[in-house]
Amino acid sequence: MRVVWTGGKSGDVLVSNKPTIRTGSPPEFGGTKEFHSPEDLFVASASVCFMNSFVVFTEKMHIRFESFEVEAKGLLEKVGQSYEITHLHMKTKVVIESEDLRSKMARALELGAKYCYVANSMKCPKEYENEIVVR
Amino acid sequence: MCIQVRILSQESHEYHVQVDWTDDGVGDLLIEGKPTTKVSAPPEFEGPEGIISPEDLFVAAATSCFMTTFATFSKRMRFDFESFSCQGTGTLEKLERGFEFTKLLLKTRVVVDSKETKPKAERALELAAKYCLVSNSMKCPTEHENIVIVG
Repeated sequence: MRVVWTGGKSGDVLVSNKPTIRTGSPPEFGGTKEFHSPEDLFVASASVCFMNSFVVFTEKMHIRFESFEVEAKGLLEKVGQSYEITHLHMKTKVVIESEDLRSKMARALELGAKYCYVANSMKCPKEYENEIVVR
Repeated sequence: MCIQVRILSQESHEYHVQVDWTDDGVGDLLIEGKPTTKVSAPPEFEGPEGIISPEDLFVAAATSCFMTTFATFSKRMRFDFESFSCQGTGTLEKLERGFEFTKLLLKTRVVVDSKETKPKAERALELAAKYCLVSNSMKCPTEHENIVIVG
């Protein structure tokens, strides 16, 4: 992939055959607020990987879910002279059809988190808060 | 739906994103006030073609952070550059406990308009690598190959 500067603190993320992502510094670091900041992309990469990893385990376990959503929060803190993302929190809600799927779904969420390789490539601790709701 | 970037203090910030599964492993990445992006697993992990994957986002986070950090240092050092282009490559490898990114390679090309600016741009690239907060938050090492050209 390539990142090409377009002016100020903004640029385009170009991945071949995929939609362009406009990126830039967030307002708190002197940029604009309408583009995805690198910090957004960082938090997004972990949460999307978690979703994919969860989906893979539900397929392996032959279980179906109605909906999945995750709200992820990354905390950026000053560490020494520089900044680092020091904590990731993922709040997930999965809707299922019947109560007897609950324990399997909880297991798929657990395994999804354990084998999420993007999160495993990050230094910070990750915290998961899972809610499973019967429709 | 609560997605927000909340400024806690000068020294810490929070980033909120939401991912909603839509169907068959494809989801919407939602960040308040920003364009919605379709996301999925990459084809090598049985995802569809042409959709942004978490692996793309991971490498993009480091690459765009390097760019914005470089832009910040160029302002502080009061020099202008003509263009900046960075090619980011992440290596995902199977380790004992599963896959992990083991290396990031960022190849950067900066064009400046005079010979005098060249060492400044080189220094700004060095500082940007050192202070890129996204790569500093990743476990794997980041390698840089920089070229500064007088255009």
